[in-house]
Amino acid sequence: MPVFITKKFLSRRTVLRGMGTTIALPFLDAMVPAATALAQTAAAAKPRMGFFYLPHGAIMRDWTPDIIGKDFDFKPILKPFEPYRNHVTVVSGLGNKPAQSSAVHAITPGTWLSCAPPRRSHAPFGGITADQVAAKHIGQDTALPSLEIATEEKGGSAACDGTYGCSFGNTISFSSPSSPLPMEFSPKKFFAKLFGEGTNDQERAMIANDYKSLLDMVMSETSSLKKGLGASDIAMLDGYLDSVREIERRVHNLESRDLSIYDLPELPVGIPNFDEHTRLMFDMMALAYQANMTRVVSFMMAAEVSNQAYTHIGIPDAFHPLSHHNNSAASIDKLSLLQTWHSQVIADFMGKLAAIPDGENSLLDNSMLLFGSNMSNSNNHDHFPLPSVVLGGGAGAIKGNQHLKYEDHTPVANLLLTMLQRAGVPVEQHGDSTGSFAEV
Amino acid sequence: MSKPVTRQFLLYGSLLAGFALTPLALAAAEEAQAPALRELHELETQWDMLNQYCVGCHNTEDWAGSLAFDTLAPADVATNKAVFEKAIRKMRGRLMPPPGNDRPEEKVIDGFVAHMESYLDTLAAAEGSNPGHIAVHRLNRKEYAASLESILGVQVDAEALLPPDTVSDGFDNVANVLQVSPAFLEQYMSAARAISIKAVGEAAPAPDQASFEAPSLANQYRHVDGLPMGTRGGFAAEHYFPADGEYEFTASIASQEGSLHRSYPTWWLESEHRFILTLDGEEVYTTSLGGKADTDAVDLLQQPAITEIENRFAKIRLPVKAGHHTIGAAFVARTFAESDRIVDHLSPGEGMDNIPLVTGFKALGPFNPAGLDGVPSRSKIFSCYPENNDAERPCAEQIMSTLARQAFRRPLTEDDLGTLMGFYDSGQAQGGFETGIQKSIMAMLASTKFLYRAEPLPEDAVAGQAFPVTDIELASRLAFFLWSQGPDAELLNVAEAGQLKDSRVLQEQVGRMLADPRASALTENFAFQWLKINDIESIDPDPRLFPEFDKDLKAAFKQEMALFVDSILRDDRSVLDLLNAKHTYLNERLARHYGIESVRGSQFRRIDLVDERRWGLLGKGGLLLLTSYPNRTSPVLRGAYILETLIGTPPSAPPAGVETDLDTRPPGAAITTLRQRLEKHREQPSCNQCHGVMDPLGLALENFNAIGQWQDMDRYAGAPIDALGRLATGQPVSGPIDLREALLDRPDQFVQALTEKLMTFALGRTIEHFDMPIVRSVVKRAAADDYRFESIVLGIVESDAFQMKSLPVDETATATETLSLSKE
Repeated sequence: MPVFITKKFLSRRTVLRGMGTTIALPFLDAMVPAATALAQTAAAAKPRMGFFYLPHGAIMRDWTPDIIGKDFDFKPILKPFEPYRNHVTVVSGLGNKPAQSSAVHAITPGTWLSCAPPRRSHAPFGGITADQVAAKHIGQDTALPSLEIATEEKGGSAACDGTYGCSFGNTISFSSPSSPLPMEFSPKKFFAKLFGEGTNDQERAMIANDYKSLLDMVMSETSSLKKGLGASDIAMLDGYLDSVREIERRVHNLESRDLSIYDLPELPVGIPNFDEHTRLMFDMMALAYQANMTRVVSFMMAAEVSNQAYTHIGIPDAFHPLSHHNNSAASIDKLSLLQTWHSQVIADFMGKLAAIPDGENSLLDNSMLLFGSNMSNSNNHDHFPLPSVVLGGGAGAIKGNQHLKYEDHTPVANLLLTMLQRAGVPVEQHGDSTGSFAEV
Repeated sequence: MSKPVTRQFLLYGSLLAGFALTPLALAAAEEAQAPALRELHELETQWDMLNQYCVGCHNTEDWAGSLAFDTLAPADVATNKAVFEKAIRKMRGRLMPPPGNDRPEEKVIDGFVAHMESYLDTLAAAEGSNPGHIAVHRLNRKEYAASLESILGVQVDAEALLPPDTVSDGFDNVANVLQVSPAFLEQYMSAARAISIKAVGEAAPAPDQASFEAPSLANQYRHVDGLPMGTRGGFAAEHYFPADGEYEFTASIASQEGSLHRSYPTWWLESEHRFILTLDGEEVYTTSLGGKADTDAVDLLQQPAITEIENRFAKIRLPVKAGHHTIGAAFVARTFAESDRIVDHLSPGEGMDNIPLVTGFKALGPFNPAGLDGVPSRSKIFSCYPENNDAERPCAEQIMSTLARQAFRRPLTEDDLGTLMGFYDSGQAQGGFETGIQKSIMAMLASTKFLYRAEPLPEDAVAGQAFPVTDIELASRLAFFLWSQGPDAELLNVAEAGQLKDSRVLQEQVGRMLADPRASALTENFAFQWLKINDIESIDPDPRLFPEFDKDLKAAFKQEMALFVDSILRDDRSVLDLLNAKHTYLNERLARHYGIESVRGSQFRRIDLVDERRWGLLGKGGLLLLTSYPNRTSPVLRGAYILETLIGTPPSAPPAGVETDLDTRPPGAAITTLRQRLEKHREQPSCNQCHGVMDPLGLALENFNAIGQWQDMDRYAGAPIDALGRLATGQPVSGPIDLREALLDRPDQFVQALTEKLMTFALGRTIEHFDMPIVRSVVKRAAADDYRFESIVLGIVESDAFQMKSLPVDETATATETLSLSKE
């Protein structure tokens, strides 16, 4: 059982040069397999959830299997998942009506997991997203209730809109209808978030103390700042206070850990190329799952309206213009290849999870990952049929090896609701859901 | 139709809250209405146009654009200002009536717009100001970094420390979208801690390593900016040294052929090269590489010889003073013709494989730290230093009072200082005086008083009631507008003395602030976002089509834009020079790209362009790149850019589900020019509605390719490029010169577009319909002053929108106003 994360684990992919001093990782109690009975139970009951967003839809011809039910066929885009057939559930027939608007790209990311139509205003107001519902229930006893990450800082200008602003175009996570969560794209900051500041116990205790007194100060200051302000400003400051309380909880969680010293690879600095960047984010995600630092990760694998060129697989075209393929065979083939690359990176990640024991099973057995898009045909900007595949065994809650076909335009919210329920979140409704799927 | 909403915005002082209007005030109000009535009659004479050309689509049956004009009379304008502001914007840009439909004569449209504007403006004058509401403002990360540099003298990389800010209306300083999540707060707290430690300095910090990679190897064949003249094969980078002491430098050496390990025999060791390491341009270390001895040694001994050579570039230990320094590593240039290997390169990155290059270097330290004398922030912080224990606390109070006044942007209260001194005391108990100061600075930087700008109103204020901002608030508004940071001591002094509202004093301060180097924030933050210059970063032209394009050229595009725009805003020239100026700033790389042979070297210098086609923004490579696709130009993007950015009438987004691909060619079909392909837009009225305006504008720039080079032939179709375009008015324009002159024929249009954007940035809020009378008056006033930049700035600063504040008007009231005309 690999108790330690070896130096090799992360640095294999990291061609990043960094501040050479190795930094210390708190030796988290959760890294010790079966440290306590409680940890074991928790791991069994609470799967690691992941929501991996692909912008600009998918070539459905190369996604949807022909065979419905068990032992279905793998089309090119899903082909990389074939080795993990027992952990693959393709769900077809889904749509997302709340994503429909003339603002297309500007609200597509932000409505994928909320399934709630945003209000027409620049100040954001939509719906809480499924990942955040999960974080509120299964994420509260981990150091980080959820992680929101991306590979690009922002997308093209069409990710903003005159009516809806930019809030829904650059994130897939909302912790409340009015609180978009920024997606962290810097590997360095992601790293620091996971492994924290401070190099030894004493320093960490000092930092925690600093934070506690700062939080006390901010708490009392914010309350007095409300004087003489209007309702909308007061609501904003209340949101700020919620953040203060959340950080207090995190500081407390970090402090209550059994901390020892542990070597980690060189700190990444700068932004590596797209291929390396994406894989590095997955590597760190695997580490975060393994160490039980978080159970919920939302990952925007490319920005909305991304102009990323996939030169590493021989596609020099910018992603977004290419996605307007106009049914040209050459463009469609390129897009399919591009989307297959995304599957391949996820499949490689699954391979890693499969090799990491978690309780009596592997991390892959205990994962519940949704990979998909909130758009179908990028040439039409439509939201049906959505490409959606659930990966992982969901800690025994997901059957796997199935292609399920539901009635056309069944809300994708139903799948999200199903995932939440299987993860042990007591919810009956999410977005515009009309029920959950017993078959999954 | 819902009942009309009337709102009265009255200055505090002319109306006592809660009291009815006095008869005298009513009479005054009626008198104020008289000019509005006159304008209304004028407007009635123009109303026919609306019935004749607009009602065909915008009526209560068709509801085109969810709008109907058929049931409206001029008298309804007053209750539907938002709708009519939108309507005249569409008409001014000639987006309406759409191309292909019957249109009135130009002068009829102009007449309608002019009368409508003048009616709306007189209405606004009669009704009093609505200054709008600016939400509680969080410092964005640029403002955060700029503030820290001024207050503490520390440079921070805000992009590395803090999460990105949400953008609204094209700007990252719009208050109501600057949200805070736990991730934000966490990073702001962690930044406060890290920065306070850096600012005070650590006497014996743990050695830390920083690595730098060559930004480009292709440019190393010639002199690189930041290095001494006569060098090549290297690069320079800035680094912050946290303490006086010794630092170890290690450089990685290779050639285009590969590193010492990779390719044997190592041709590039054939000649002897002299390596130098520089600090702030001064040589501090030298060694040699190559020549007969090295070649023989590598031949005979291989690995041990390579190790010996590498050691010359490794762990070079040198004393360095604390602070920011530029590290340079390079080789002294010698002839290119030194072997019979390939002598010239075909394109950047090809050939010249026998030139040694510095691919990267590291700095590790400090070792044997020897104090903090050189730390620049310490001289800002320690305005006093205690000589004995008793002097410590009074000195700490003095330090924190000075710093916090600037950080909190107002006079300090006892409470403010008390909190900060609480942190000082606990820090002092932990680690002495300096630790106390550090903890106190940390608290100051994490404080909501620093991170937020709030402008409280009297407790009994009602929505829509306007109040003048205080002098202190005005100082902050001014400083964040012009400097992207809080006021300096002088501005605060003036504000605290209650003098800032004196218009002479205000003008003096604006003049002083614009002349200050901190006003470069206007270029970097305002102009870059307005002109979308940062988008240059995200565009990578297809390397197969544009092999000559590289990161250096991209950086040069951006630098040219920065220097050019700055030269107009900061020299207080007419903003029309943005379109028309003949000067620009070039280095050799960019000049060659433009076909100019006379510029040598990597530094940018100001030159006058002989080629008129390159004058002003429309001839700038950066602008042409950011309005192109990686593989071709986009007349659509260029047209849309001109409409939105330069004319201020953005086209609507394309409807959902349309085919937008122009490039796919059926097998066997002839290759066509882009102009021919764009003709597809004419076939569909729903496309032509906007593209009929956008495409012809963009086509006028078609001679500039996707990386901004001039071309006469379409390289695919093999046909000459036809750059004949058309303005929305129907006026033909051919090529960039014609287009530029046509834009200059309507200077008010361009200046209004700029003014709206500048006001959005100045206020940090969305510009609403009720702001438009102010925008128009600023433009008119600037016209009398040759549209000088400072007169636009002053116009905004002296407007009610900038000088007044109010609670937000009930959102439902605003909604009703729009709803009365629209179907949804």
